[in-house]
Amino acid sequence: MPETSATELAVGSALPPVVKQITQEKIGRYADASGDHNRLHIDPEFAATTQFEGTIAHGMLLLGYISEMMTAAFGSRWIERGRLKIRFRAPARPGDTITTAGSVTAVDGRRIACDIECKNQAGDVLVSGQAEVG
Amino acid sequence: MTATLAAFGKGHEFPPISFELSEDWVAGYVAAVEDASIAAHSGVVPPMALATLAVRTLLDSAGLPAGAVHVGQELNFLRAAAVGESLAARATITSRGERAGWVLMGLELSIGDADGSPVMSGRATLTFPAEAAA
Repeated sequence: MPETSATELAVGSALPPVVKQITQEKIGRYADASGDHNRLHIDPEFAATTQFEGTIAHGMLLLGYISEMMTAAFGSRWIERGRLKIRFRAPARPGDTITTAGSVTAVDGRRIACDIECKNQAGDVLVSGQAEVG
Repeated sequence: MTATLAAFGKGHEFPPISFELSEDWVAGYVAAVEDASIAAHSGVVPPMALATLAVRTLLDSAGLPAGAVHVGQELNFLRAAAVGESLAARATITSRGERAGWVLMGLELSIGDADGSPVMSGRATLTFPAEAAA
């Protein structure tokens, strides 16, 4: 995959989004891969008794979607020299449609900085922060 | 019974955990996050898979307290990791404070290769009810 050149991106350029459907099955698959079998993620009956009133996806699953967007946009520059700083704002739930977004905020030589986020189908921001490639 | 993170204070270092990025595990991770972009980088592990393993290191050493929420994440990818490579993950509690009945905990995460060279570094921020620490 060709890498994105800094000269191809200007401040304000949007990264191609990644769109994913969250299901309980997918949350379970991520729990198995990550080893994080917290009942809040995989046990609907238990999760219904918590402040979240139902199961929620692992935050790191959403970061996997952001990483896919960054890999598609920047290739090995993200894989080998990527940086990320985010906050989890709200949970993703089974049935949600998650859309990632990225916007270039600075281009300085090889360094490209982006604002990034994940939203659900209601437009709620679930993850927000910054990412950079070197 | 494994202690939870609530039992540990600032400065606690969790035992390093070594792991192999086996073909099966990487394939399971890629399937779980449905990462279509990494296929263009043959033999390379998605960088967020490393972060997932760093978190797993924590969970192998200490469970999450009831009501724990992942608040934020910082990650620095320092080089690509290859399928089949052996790595070691470390985690240290670098901050712990309490406010309004909630504990806020910061953890430094790092992954190095067989030569001890860094592959990934990062910081996770978690919060959980102070009553979980009582």
